[in-house]
Amino acid sequence: MKKSLLLIWTLSLSAALSFGQAPAATPAAPPAPPVAITDADVKGVDAPKPDARLKGDPDGSLTGTVSDVPVGDAKKGLTISDVINQVGQNKVAINFTWTLITGFLVMFMQAGFAIVETGLCRAKNANHTMMMNFMVYGVGMLAYWLIGFAIQMGGVGGVANLGGAPPLNTEHVITLLGKPFGLYGQHGIMLTQGGTYDVAVMVIFLFQMVFMDTALTIVTGSAAERWKFAAFLVSSFMLGAFIYPLFANWAWGGGWLANLGTNFGLGKGYADFAGSGVVHSVGGVSALALALIVGPRLGKYTRQGKANALIGHDIVIVLTGCFILAFGWFGFNPGSTLGASGNGNLRIGSVAVNTMLAGMAGGFTAMFYMWIRYGKPDASMSGNGLLAGLVAITAPCGFVNPICSVIIGLIAGVLVCLAVEFFDRSLKVDDPVGAISVHGVNGIWGVIAVGLFADGKSNYGGSWNGVTGNVTGLFYGDPGQLVAQMIGVATLLGVIFPLVLVVNMAIDAVIGQRVGAKAELDGLDLPEMGQLGYPEFELKSRSVGA
Amino acid sequence: MILVGILMTVLGFIVAFLSLAMTTSPAARLGIVLAGIALSIIGILGVLNSAFQKNAIWRKP
Repeated sequence: MKKSLLLIWTLSLSAALSFGQAPAATPAAPPAPPVAITDADVKGVDAPKPDARLKGDPDGSLTGTVSDVPVGDAKKGLTISDVINQVGQNKVAINFTWTLITGFLVMFMQAGFAIVETGLCRAKNANHTMMMNFMVYGVGMLAYWLIGFAIQMGGVGGVANLGGAPPLNTEHVITLLGKPFGLYGQHGIMLTQGGTYDVAVMVIFLFQMVFMDTALTIVTGSAAERWKFAAFLVSSFMLGAFIYPLFANWAWGGGWLANLGTNFGLGKGYADFAGSGVVHSVGGVSALALALIVGPRLGKYTRQGKANALIGHDIVIVLTGCFILAFGWFGFNPGSTLGASGNGNLRIGSVAVNTMLAGMAGGFTAMFYMWIRYGKPDASMSGNGLLAGLVAITAPCGFVNPICSVIIGLIAGVLVCLAVEFFDRSLKVDDPVGAISVHGVNGIWGVIAVGLFADGKSNYGGSWNGVTGNVTGLFYGDPGQLVAQMIGVATLLGVIFPLVLVVNMAIDAVIGQRVGAKAELDGLDLPEMGQLGYPEFELKSRSVGA
Repeated sequence: MILVGILMTVLGFIVAFLSLAMTTSPAARLGIVLAGIALSIIGILGVLNSAFQKNAIWRKP
């Protein structure tokens, strides 16, 4: 018996070794000299006979052949130029299609945000919370179309994956510390000014618009259940028209943060692949500003300052919404390559896997944290853990490996639980859905994670933000990248937050941000929206202030 | 106090920004930027939050 086992083990080992080893190297033949292709070669390519497809093409071998390459000059017939032009158009077409479809996925995230936030609020505010999430799409888009897009992308210069987009070429630049500082773009108002009625510009607009809307919808969560609807509309318009586009220009539109590498030798400049900083942190710090201005909900704190739990009304739609968001994130992160063909864009597989791994890790650690600390695996915090992992990987997803993605997600899952407790109990900032912790805190964590974990293996055309080489973090040898990321964080806290605060204090002074006490106690559906979210159900209070 | 909090928050950014002019050493720049971020965080969570909490609805009789 022992001899048989030994024989099997020996055979298995030798088989494994033989499979694991490369075949013996043979001397390589010298490469053949390149052969020039002429128009005659192209004309000689066999095309299917015209009547061949009349019988159908069940295996697809007759569809998409030389017959489908457009001919520029019928007299000359098919030429090399025709073929090369078609190759170029195919690349751009693949990238257009990729960017548009991933943009459609991001748009669907609005539905996820809507039901997560509504489920985490009380039933008496369901209509109001859904309407905020619904109308933020329209008001944000209007603001962005009118002016926001021009501020953000009007000076971005070339977007090679999408065929260039040359009309977006005018950035307002000032000189500071002897260096050029891009502040805002100037082309693209209403998608016509400055020659921006252009196919590539349209694709960029759609993709960037849904990102901007994601930032705006984060704010509705922290101010839910007491935000005056009219004030919400004005506040969202200002954020979509001016404040979000400003930071997005600095990071993605060719502005000064992106150029920290070229101007000051800080890594490859501020690097934020899909927007942990641009989208989530901007949304998160705005959510904090609004939560401070509108103040806590009635009944959230006792006279002694002890926090009460105001339980959301539907955990089923909360977790369904989290799934929708996780699905949409496959548009958010992989779509941020703005293409699938050329310039290292085959990293999309790695970006997608990093995204799902970090989300998984965040969900796990949040669940276990709550289980260990409170004795039960809390559902809403597990959902928030998933979202925290996704938020945190959004900036680094294009620059890190799968192990680092899991580490980033694991930390995010704990961080969101600690942050929720800190804001809720220590600071007494009432955030009904945890938007500040999920998007603000973990967005900043994601920005920092780029500066720590970027492994220098990604290569998107040989450079990033105009600096040759790959984005590399502190743990892989470039401390300058971490400094660039931290300057981005300082900008979010020291410029964007105060800007949002001041604008919303002005709105508060003019139209008021908070509803009256009676409306809040009754629920906002009737006083603010004129219709109950659940008219055929009798709503009963189950917690203080409900 | 709200104005003080806002000024402190902005000052944190200015400190971080000036790190670009003060030195070329990444470690020194990182230290200065972290100091700026700390200043902004104190401005937001310490000063501004306290100012808003003074009039919080749960403190009112």
